[in-house]
Amino acid sequence: MTALRRVEPAARVVWPPLALCALLVVTWALVDGFGDVVYKDTAVRLFLTLIIVLGLQIFSGNSGVLSFGHIAFMAIGAYMSALLTIPPDIKKFTYLSMPSWLGSWILPAKLSPLEATLAGAGVATLFALITAAPIVRLAGVEAGIGTLALLIIVYVFDVQTSAITRGTSTQIGVPQTTTFVSVLVWALIFIGVAFAFKQSRRGLRLRASRENVRAAKSVGVRVSVERAVAWVLSGFVVGVAGALYGHYFVTFGPDDFFFNQGFNIVLLTIVMLVVGGMTSVTGAVVGCYFVTVIYEAFRRWEVNGLGDVRPPSGTGNFVLAVVLILTLVLRPNGITGGRELAWPGDWSLDSLRRLKARSGGGDSVAAESAK
Amino acid sequence: MNEASRRYAAVSGGFVATVLLVVLVLSLIVGAGEGIQYTLDSLAYGSLFAVMALGLALLFNVMGLMNFAYGELIMAGAYVMYFTRSWGWLGMILMTVLVVTILSLLMELIAFRPVRDASPVVLLVTSFAVSYGIQQLAWTDVFGLAHRFDSTIGTGPQKGVEPYPWLTNQFDVGGVLVSRLEIATFIVTGVLLVGLTLLLKKTTLGIQLRASSEDFRMAQLTGVRANWVISAAFGITGVLAGAVAILYILRTGAVAPDIGQGPLFVAFVGGVIGGLGSLGGAALGGFVLGAIINALSATLPITLKSHTQLFAFLVVIAILVLVPNGLVSIRGDAVKRLWRRVRRSPAPAEGAA
Repeated sequence: MTALRRVEPAARVVWPPLALCALLVVTWALVDGFGDVVYKDTAVRLFLTLIIVLGLQIFSGNSGVLSFGHIAFMAIGAYMSALLTIPPDIKKFTYLSMPSWLGSWILPAKLSPLEATLAGAGVATLFALITAAPIVRLAGVEAGIGTLALLIIVYVFDVQTSAITRGTSTQIGVPQTTTFVSVLVWALIFIGVAFAFKQSRRGLRLRASRENVRAAKSVGVRVSVERAVAWVLSGFVVGVAGALYGHYFVTFGPDDFFFNQGFNIVLLTIVMLVVGGMTSVTGAVVGCYFVTVIYEAFRRWEVNGLGDVRPPSGTGNFVLAVVLILTLVLRPNGITGGRELAWPGDWSLDSLRRLKARSGGGDSVAAESAK
Repeated sequence: MNEASRRYAAVSGGFVATVLLVVLVLSLIVGAGEGIQYTLDSLAYGSLFAVMALGLALLFNVMGLMNFAYGELIMAGAYVMYFTRSWGWLGMILMTVLVVTILSLLMELIAFRPVRDASPVVLLVTSFAVSYGIQQLAWTDVFGLAHRFDSTIGTGPQKGVEPYPWLTNQFDVGGVLVSRLEIATFIVTGVLLVGLTLLLKKTTLGIQLRASSEDFRMAQLTGVRANWVISAAFGITGVLAGAVAILYILRTGAVAPDIGQGPLFVAFVGGVIGGLGSLGGAALGGFVLGAIINALSATLPITLKSHTQLFAFLVVIAILVLVPNGLVSIRGDAVKRLWRRVRRSPAPAEGAA
């Protein structure tokens, strides 16, 4: 018993990420064991979006600054990784007008999937580094608009610079190297990264600035620096997601990384984070599962029908919106209330009641900023 | 010169400067005669966005909400016009304004009232959810329009509201071609802007609204009823959105579920550039951006057009970072203040609310 006591503090620290990883592994095992192709596809997309949401959590969750711009990192990761892995024979014909200073090293390149993923994420990180200076100075609605402007800039670049991106045409010859296991492994890694960052000194300083910028500054927190670190780190995470996305869907174009009529990745990833509870990694995972399950359930219902009942097509998206509004109304701080998964020893009806009573306290930025 | 009159001067000076600039640039590019004609068109287009940006700024000031569902009000207006096209123009206009206003009020009652005290981020996400929901409703077959999203084409089929020939036909006024719609746009937006100004300055409701914009809690403490003021703000923006929808749809003719997105972005960005914090500034920003976009798209060669947006949004980021209160807030000692901004530390995460 005493031995258990001694490991408990350490176990408490690693409990939430381990539990979340276990959830992911169980999902993987179940779907891989029993699911058909459709379920596997859904699960891969779930893990892909989860990586993006984790990236968003690293920046927005810890800093309290909203970002619409992270999908731009995804686009950069996807394009860069694809450019470096398409067989040179194909590239010679699809990128006829690539400028020579790029073509000289991109056209003959043939990297392995992992190298290309890291290269794509690396370029995304570089872009994050360049854009960090203006972005970290913004907050609130201004940050939303500034990051949106960033997204639009990258989108316009993708569409218009056809010499490098093939414009609105889709990519040809991208090898499909992203597997179910590889997205799982990356997602597990990033759960660890997101959690480690949140618990690190930098993460703590950033969270302090989220709760009260002036108070944080008064104790010596350099808010711009902390935000910039989170911005760059999340740029890498989302860049990896982009590279994996590119090598999973193979044919992709600029519209995949913008406000898209089908699955609106820009908005839905943010919605997932906020609905789950943006201040915790648990919230990111829960929100991602929650939204994906609702979205997929309705989509499947529309396609297959349930008995004789089949809702008019498009109902799923509408119901999703209604559920989101309901969730935000009932739990403005997200399903988890912005907390991490509690230690099993602390589970009780009593604590649940307390949690309900002071929903909005604890690790939540909303309670502060509402004032 | 006190703050109010300084701002007034800045806004009206900005309007005049934009008009002169657009005339000058267009005349240089396409020649004087056509230049004036393009100018009139650009100004009519710009004044539409002035009204839209005003609606956005009103809500932003009163409750810290950046309402993305505003575009869906325009879209709803377009559908009402599509269905009531046969009722004659007066019936169509009344019905459109009525439905859009009711929709705006319902939006507040159902979605925004319960989350009013939540953080700006939650408000923003709620407005996205509302926008998404209404848009998805339009994509479904609920209205029997078979507007189903077709992923192979990338968009759904478009419906149209046929323009009235007597409204859009151009006639010659001293060598310049003008349409009745342009004149109507000027008159309607002018009346709306003046009317709203009078409402804000002269009526009790207006004073309550302005007090709430400045300090919502303080206004409540002095007896302003929160529900009433916010409902009123949504009602006003609903009327504005209805008017914009009519003028915009009569101009473009197209009706589709995503039709509200484009104008929303322009008004949104324009409002930020001008300064969402002040109603006049936002209106000016929407006006300038709308006019410039229209002027550029009419005159720029295709090769230049492609990357214009890219640079436009770089400018937006620069303005956000350097003059976060919008261009209206610039004063005589602008350079000195700008330098202080550059060295300034980041804004609080609570945002501008």
